[in-house]
Amino acid sequence: MGGSSLRVPLTLVAVAIVFVVGAVAPTRFAGDFVLRLANEGLLLGMLALSVAFLMNQAGLVALGAASIYGGSGLLFAIAMNDWNLTPVWALCAAFLIIVVYATVLGALIVRTNPLAFMMLTLAAGEMISHAVMLEALRDYTGGADGLVVSFKGTVFGMEAADFASPARFWVVMWVAAWLSGLALWAVGRSRLGAILRAVRENEERMRFSGFDTYLPRLIAYVLVNIVAAVAGLLHVLNAGFVSPESLGISVSTNSLVAALMGGIAGSVGPLLGGVIFSFAQDEFGARGLTQLLTGIAIVVFIVVFPRGVVGGLSSMAWLRKLGFGGRRETS
Amino acid sequence: MLKIENLSVSYGSVRALSDVDLEVLGDGILHGVIGPNGAGKSTLLDAVCGRRRPVAGTVHYRNEDITRRSVAWRRRQGMARSFQRTSVFQDLTVHEQLHLVAQHLGDNRLDDVIEVMDLAGYLHQKAGRIAYGVQRRVDVALALIGRPHLLLLDEPGAGLSAAETLHLFEHLRDLVRERKIAAVVVEHDVDAVFACCGKVTVLDLGRHLATGTPQQIRADHRVVAAYLGTAA
Repeated sequence: MGGSSLRVPLTLVAVAIVFVVGAVAPTRFAGDFVLRLANEGLLLGMLALSVAFLMNQAGLVALGAASIYGGSGLLFAIAMNDWNLTPVWALCAAFLIIVVYATVLGALIVRTNPLAFMMLTLAAGEMISHAVMLEALRDYTGGADGLVVSFKGTVFGMEAADFASPARFWVVMWVAAWLSGLALWAVGRSRLGAILRAVRENEERMRFSGFDTYLPRLIAYVLVNIVAAVAGLLHVLNAGFVSPESLGISVSTNSLVAALMGGIAGSVGPLLGGVIFSFAQDEFGARGLTQLLTGIAIVVFIVVFPRGVVGGLSSMAWLRKLGFGGRRETS
Repeated sequence: MLKIENLSVSYGSVRALSDVDLEVLGDGILHGVIGPNGAGKSTLLDAVCGRRRPVAGTVHYRNEDITRRSVAWRRRQGMARSFQRTSVFQDLTVHEQLHLVAQHLGDNRLDDVIEVMDLAGYLHQKAGRIAYGVQRRVDVALALIGRPHLLLLDEPGAGLSAAETLHLFEHLRDLVRERKIAAVVVEHDVDAVFACCGKVTVLDLGRHLATGTPQQIRADHRVVAAYLGTAA
């Protein structure tokens, strides 16, 4: 009886320890190169988190996440360079514009069926990434060269050098990833999450139960794009540069792959998937076989862990509890 | 409660319902709709609940023309339906789905529905893992939440044995009588319909053939010729 009442505080303590150790330990023991990869991994993980939440809760696959991710960074750069806003106001302006864009786009496309939704997010994303390259907009967007962003002063108490420092940025990323993960986890467990899953499963029955099935999906779409936009803004603060590639389809597909590798059922999976993907890409790139090895790795991951790494590991832990896991017959 | 006038529904070039008139009173009796396959029974329910738009005619519900109203609006106004093929949330537990809908419709008497549909023993099981007959009861229970004024039940006995169907119909008859609501039930099991429905409408090839008490319908030579045959 006391076991179950103790379990919740113990879990909270364990989570708090993981949070603190995870924020501090890498900055003490890992080098800059590893931290840079880890930072990139968490950025991709946040994008994967947004993709996974929509897939898991609403049954919708978005292929245009990069247009929000790169778009928010690009808007921040434009707001800094052309509109002469202070960094904080530039962040607010970029965030607001991208959320309005996501809301308008979502209002148009969440009404469609999942396949049409996927194609429309792809089309909208490609439209934006090609618009950025237009010669007529080059003065604003920098075209194929991208835009450099440098700011003086501080953003939320941090200077540009702090964002560029892998160790300091790791702490920012760690906190941002946790907050995003916890926020989406809480939404998933809320009434909105229950409605989204019910709509995903049987939309007609939901309408016949008196539910508006449109608004919950629109809210979910906007929420995940807020996470993607935050990731995009953090990316540009860290890199000090925004490239047109950050809006491209490859970033969107990478986020989808990272989500599938980590597992879409919760918040940990996509974030972990992003980190795994980042380190794997570096390792594969060092061998000069990035595409080939990435393809093989995706196939292996999905065959071995059809529910993602986190889903697979949790089933194994569940099996162990029952006394089935961790044992192998020897011949 | 429900008044249908000159209702016509088409699937492309095929006319599924032609100029159907029907009136259902909220007098606590089950109103059965029978007819051979392709008679337009399910199409009639689809048009009444807003799932399919009629090409002509009107649907009046509680003295209001609701022909163009959305499905969700009709449900919130107390018009509920169940489906020919069970339509439940397979991945949610029975309690989760009933509670979700009850919360949305502001119904704090969920226990009544659970008791009436005899679902207490299945509340914590996922709907996809319970027997088909119980799933059908969950389907009907979802329709009963929110104290609807009009129930539209599409073959609630589909997939059930004759005894189970009769048992379910008796449940429904008592419920409708007790709550003084209106209920239209489409069913192939003529014995259950004649045993429990106070009024019966017969459709044939998308047209209204007859409406009356079970005794009148049994004696109607047009119904006998078109549907019941000598077995009736």
